Amino acid sequence: MRKTLRLVRREYKAAVKTKGFIIGLVLAPIFMGGGLIAFAVFKDRVDTTDKALAVVDRSSVIGQAIVDAAERRNEKEIHDAEAGKKIKPAYSVELVEPDHGDLERQRLELSNRVRRGELHAFLDIGPGIVHPGEDPNAARIAYYARNSAMDDMRRWLGWPINNRLRKLRLADAGIDESEVKDLFHWANIDGMGLVSVDVASGDIQKAKKTNEIEAILVPIVTMMLMFMMVMISVPGMLHSVMEEKTQRIAEVLLGSIRPFEFMMGKLLAGIAVSLTSSAVYLIGGFLVIRHMGFEGFIPYAVLPWFFIYMFLAILMLGAVASALGATCSEAKDAQSLMFPILIPALIPMFTYFPIVREPMSSFATWMSLFPPFTPFLMLLRQATPGGVPAWQAIAGLLGVIAFTLAFVWVGGRIFRVALLLQGTPPKLGNIVRWALRG
Amino acid sequence: MDAVCLRDVTKTFGKTVAVSDLSLNVPEGSVYGFIGPNGSGKTTTLRMIMNILYPDRGQIMVLGESRLGACLDRLSYMPEERGLYQRMKVRELLEFHGELKTGRKVRRQADHWLERLGLTDWATKKVETLSKGMSQKLQFIATVISEPEVVILDEPFAGLDPVNAEVIRDAILQLQSQGVTIVFSTHDMGVAEKMCDYVFMIFRGRKVLDGTLDSIQNRYGTDTIRLRTDDGTAALEDLQGIEKVTDFGRMQELRMTADCDAQAVLAAIMSRTRVHSFDVVKPSLHDIFVRIAGPEAREVPNA
Repeated sequence: MRKTLRLVRREYKAAVKTKGFIIGLVLAPIFMGGGLIAFAVFKDRVDTTDKALAVVDRSSVIGQAIVDAAERRNEKEIHDAEAGKKIKPAYSVELVEPDHGDLERQRLELSNRVRRGELHAFLDIGPGIVHPGEDPNAARIAYYARNSAMDDMRRWLGWPINNRLRKLRLADAGIDESEVKDLFHWANIDGMGLVSVDVASGDIQKAKKTNEIEAILVPIVTMMLMFMMVMISVPGMLHSVMEEKTQRIAEVLLGSIRPFEFMMGKLLAGIAVSLTSSAVYLIGGFLVIRHMGFEGFIPYAVLPWFFIYMFLAILMLGAVASALGATCSEAKDAQSLMFPILIPALIPMFTYFPIVREPMSSFATWMSLFPPFTPFLMLLRQATPGGVPAWQAIAGLLGVIAFTLAFVWVGGRIFRVALLLQGTPPKLGNIVRWALRG
Repeated sequence: MDAVCLRDVTKTFGKTVAVSDLSLNVPEGSVYGFIGPNGSGKTTTLRMIMNILYPDRGQIMVLGESRLGACLDRLSYMPEERGLYQRMKVRELLEFHGELKTGRKVRRQADHWLERLGLTDWATKKVETLSKGMSQKLQFIATVISEPEVVILDEPFAGLDPVNAEVIRDAILQLQSQGVTIVFSTHDMGVAEKMCDYVFMIFRGRKVLDGTLDSIQNRYGTDTIRLRTDDGTAALEDLQGIEKVTDFGRMQELRMTADCDAQAVLAAIMSRTRVHSFDVVKPSLHDIFVRIAGPEAREVPNA
């Protein structure tokens, strides 16, 4: 054990004292959560160029309402109230008389105006829009633009059009709008956790209100952090073992240390590096979250599980990586083995969404009980507001421990034999033979 | 007492027999030389002694312990291919290797050896900045820094210039004078002749020579003539009783048949040319090596 720890110390220092580690520490979360960060940072960076809209209102009762709404919007919404800076484009609306003779020709002309840049888009309102039940085809509204699917103006138009329609329909029904305000009140359904009993006092504990951050974001971030820790350490082990083999450092070390101690030194150093990284991320994340006032979302109960699973996941996958690293004599061998090693980490990344949406489904349960996936998927489920039944957490943990022991044992056998074989490419048959016979 | 003792050790890799029924005894405090052609089983034997490879059959006792790897910390090993952490600093690397073996600080020993081998100025430099010769000396220090009782060196002189080779040779002999057992493999027969108390030769996995240089040479008898003449090999053609002529340029070596008379050979040569020197000697280790492992090898003897 003394020798293993001495090797751990060297490996740890060699890993964390490099610029690569520091840069990786910063870059890894940027790559992993880069999209979210970029979205948050750049969400207000919108194009403020004014946009012109042509409206062909074949119902004759909606167009003016859009013109009025656009003017109100231009007056109140497109400038920052404090700085006075323009933050959104102004919308100008041009009402175009419908060509009842050749509708398609008119649409082509308007499309060409969009192509020439004179218009941003044009809107075609069907003649029967007020009473769609009479002729659904006459009640269509079509928005034509270069990229109509992702268009802020199209989304904005929904409100003034539907507001105008509501007023018209109430008027047609002879109802005074001011008397039926409640008719348009949209009832929201609050998501709540379960009511429980305080073990110490016996008092009934009120249920906590749940939200999407707690239900989706917290579990995903927790699992992503686990994925990052695995990605930081496991591929490095594969390359490090291969390098030490090809540079003959391994043979020198084997004069002082047993192969299993050597492998364990690598694995424990990898865990130590991941613990350092995770500590940095967790402490940093905690400070940021607390600063933002979201401290209540931190899943403290899951943190011990995170560290237990991280320890086991890196031990399990690291043993495989070290063993396969020992079979490689060239960088391209290591490159081709990287993907199979990381499959247990990658599959949870492809399947997490249905699991986080329905963490108690049988798919979620069985996937998370499969030991190679447990550190990721059980953790994901445990971080959801309802958590998982205790038996599942225990069964998952026992499964991971058993698999980890088996992987380390088999990895040790392959590692010992393969480490001194130079120039032999890693063939599946050889690897299986070494695993079985040692 | 023997520092290392092998009994009927066999090691195979797949269908290849690397070492076959090998037995040998390395006396404590001796310098024991392993010779043999490439691929003959030298490194495999050294690795088995170090417990890096496990024998398929047979017994290996090191410092009286037969349990595999029981006294790993009392041995030290320098493999043929040098392997050093390139990004570590020189002293830091030595401390790592020393502490790995001994579990205690070895700063004093590191400084002593760095000075002894002329590397003090490089103590704080990274290993990657060292020349090949310096790296080799550093590897040697990393091997001996733990003050082992048995030092196993695989080709310690390979690639060294004469000055550095002498530095390493002196260091090895100094270790021997302190009671350390040295086992090393070499392709340099001159080094083996000069340094080794015992020479062991392995060929195709089998032991073919084992003993002191004298005892080995005595087995072959005084069958070699070394001479210098005016006409070189031109004067040595078709001599009676000579089975092989080896030309070294300025000197020639003749191997006599068992019933050959050296005086008759001398007379025959003198009748053809002027002779400057004529020595009847035992065959050199190099010659014995070539007789066993060279293309003319007739049969592999068992030692």
